[in-house]
Amino acid sequence: MEFAFDAREDSLRREVQAFIAEELTAAIREDIDAGELGVQFGPIATAFFDKVRARGWTGVSWPVEYGGQGRTAMDQFIIEEEFGRAGLRIGGAGTGAPAILASGTEEQKRAFVPGCIRGDIIFAQGYSEPGCGTDLAGIQCRATRVGDTYVIRGQKTFMTSAHVATHIFLMVRTDPASRRHAGLSILLVPIDAAGITIRPLWTIQNDPVAPRGTTYGENRTNEVFFDDVVVPASCLLGEEGDGWNVAQRGLSIDRVGARRYLMSVLRDEDIVNWLKKDEAPNRALRADPVVRDKVAELWIEGQVCRLLTMRSMTIARRGGDFVHEASAEKVFAPEHGVRATEAIGQILGPHAQLLSSSPEAVEEGVFAHNLLGAFQSTINHGSVQVMRDQIARKGLGLPRPGKRGETV
Amino acid sequence: MDVLPDEDEAAIQATAEDFLAAECTPALVRAAERDAARWSPALFARIAELGWLRLCLPEEDGGDGLPLTHLAVLFDVLGRHLAPVPMHGTMVGAITLARCGTPAQRAILPAVGRGEARIALAIQEADGSWSADALALRGRREGDGIILDGAKSFVDGFRESTHAIAAFLLDGAPALALLESDAPGLSATDLVTTAKDSSASLVFDGVRVPASRIIAGAAPLRLLMDLAAAFLAAQMAGAARRATERAADYAKDRVAFGQPIGAFQAIQHMAADMLIGAEGAQLLAREAIWRLGEGLPATVEAAQAKAFANEKCLAACRSAQQIHGGIGFIEVHDQQLWYRRVAAWAHRCGTAREHRRTVAAALLDQQGPVRLDVPLVAE
Repeated sequence: MEFAFDAREDSLRREVQAFIAEELTAAIREDIDAGELGVQFGPIATAFFDKVRARGWTGVSWPVEYGGQGRTAMDQFIIEEEFGRAGLRIGGAGTGAPAILASGTEEQKRAFVPGCIRGDIIFAQGYSEPGCGTDLAGIQCRATRVGDTYVIRGQKTFMTSAHVATHIFLMVRTDPASRRHAGLSILLVPIDAAGITIRPLWTIQNDPVAPRGTTYGENRTNEVFFDDVVVPASCLLGEEGDGWNVAQRGLSIDRVGARRYLMSVLRDEDIVNWLKKDEAPNRALRADPVVRDKVAELWIEGQVCRLLTMRSMTIARRGGDFVHEASAEKVFAPEHGVRATEAIGQILGPHAQLLSSSPEAVEEGVFAHNLLGAFQSTINHGSVQVMRDQIARKGLGLPRPGKRGETV
Repeated sequence: MDVLPDEDEAAIQATAEDFLAAECTPALVRAAERDAARWSPALFARIAELGWLRLCLPEEDGGDGLPLTHLAVLFDVLGRHLAPVPMHGTMVGAITLARCGTPAQRAILPAVGRGEARIALAIQEADGSWSADALALRGRREGDGIILDGAKSFVDGFRESTHAIAAFLLDGAPALALLESDAPGLSATDLVTTAKDSSASLVFDGVRVPASRIIAGAAPLRLLMDLAAAFLAAQMAGAARRATERAADYAKDRVAFGQPIGAFQAIQHMAADMLIGAEGAQLLAREAIWRLGEGLPATVEAAQAKAFANEKCLAACRSAQQIHGGIGFIEVHDQQLWYRRVAAWAHRCGTAREHRRTVAAALLDQQGPVRLDVPLVAE
């Protein structure tokens, strides 16, 4: 056991912190905030991200032959954490690139991964449908093989970055006779293919728009329609019919890492640092034994979130032999984020309901906007209920629920 | 950063698990509870033979000089099997002496390593506070020694101890006294706890301790209390994990409404939360113990671990009772052993309220912003 970063990692963290302190000006921030989802910016922000790339801080743990840096996952974690703390999302590009690295052909790796690292290829995740979300086995969106093409027909929903993406990481049913997880496939679909219609679904964060630092600030997601969309058969990722496994390889990467960790714990720091302000209401609250006990309780839970994340990083470094550990992290951390958000509201009192556009809003309304968004993280990327199923079955060997009298 | 046991630690853990699974059965735990001694001298002798007691003692004191994290995995396994041996007080006391004691005081350590010397910790007093600020036992200087007058309570493992380390006030400041458990003027009254193990109240009626047996200053007491909280949290995490596994095993067999109750999500989700609670406590405890081993400040980390363990490990053991239903409440069924032990341990070495007070002070009463991954230092 070793509960510390090594000297090289500490020095990397200081280097990133110094870079952000020096280079991330107010003008760049404005330019980034004017964009959407941390991917569309003006020229000032683009120049800033060029500098970030020049430092080798994108695609950090990805292979050198595909434009990555070939460094450790922990290096990537540290860099993403520091940028995340500054309110910036870098690297990653969602599920696409990790899944392509795991399952793609040589040609696909060369076509997509360097672009994901440069930021000129952005994947939207096309999993959920009106009739299925957490249980993706219910997918109905069809792709039919016609010669050397696939013809796609169906509907997807909650495709958050569809309106800024270049491609869709699309899960479809290729075998119409198949049930549940069999007969699913992944297609890498260009967003500008003929027959794709994108319509906005506005979230409860839309009016007014959430301030920077909100746990889940997205004001928009999308529903996407596929009306006989024809794509080359070479868009298939992995084997036809093996889409469930292909997607799992990408999802497991999605459930661990700096972004989800930060999302769950930044509130703990925010409330403590807010209470420490040298103003009368803050002084009074931080002297209240009830507030002190609650804040300490949240802090300890935040430490558990950090340690569960470090455990996942440890397992990943030792070869990625996860049993239930990523699921445990995906239950405890998001639920902690919700508990913290709601407890902070009770500490702040009526101010906690005031949104960003309101007079007398605390910290630009971030705590109120968190109340609107924190619980999203207990739903997406696998609900905490499904994660608990996984923990019970994989971690403790409990049986799958069956019909009465039989165990499936 | 690698928060899982390394090869050496994992090897010790596996050996310990094999040994205690075979030797420390529920029947042995029950026998210890029924025995007037309330512990198992035979099991402790075997543990001493296996060398567990000297594992993390310095080589110059007859130990193996291994990092303290080896004790973290051992306490986990001892907790899993509810081992009725005075390992906790003995190891906390011995590590404190190894770190803070004079050569004369450290002379006891080879005997600790052999299992011949066993230490009980006399920290708390009648009000039950787990705080250096609550000390009332006083020492007055007389000749080349100290005379102790006052009382201690919640002294776990006193009956089986050969020595006690008592915290007291000397000239208004905290100090530790190393004394023989049969010192003249020292008398004990047994307490009856939910664990049915040994715990006692002590009266010090002019107990004389040579000056050479005194360790003055707040820091040794701080270290001792941090070790005590962290080791006990590790032990609780192990017990909670085992209680969870046992409940899961029961749920696989027990049929209701036509299927094993473990197939019901109401049970599965409860079991998932039990596992997460035990694992969270384990990680917090291991981080605290790693920091203590590295000589880093760990008061906040030990407080975090014990506060979390008190609530989550007890909840896990209580949920294990829930899964067992009525049979879990019946004395002849073994499951209740885990609940009763953890119900006692959750009230020793500081309550959640007390430990969160320590964390809150470190968070709120110092200058400057906090960051979750930057350790806090208690004042």
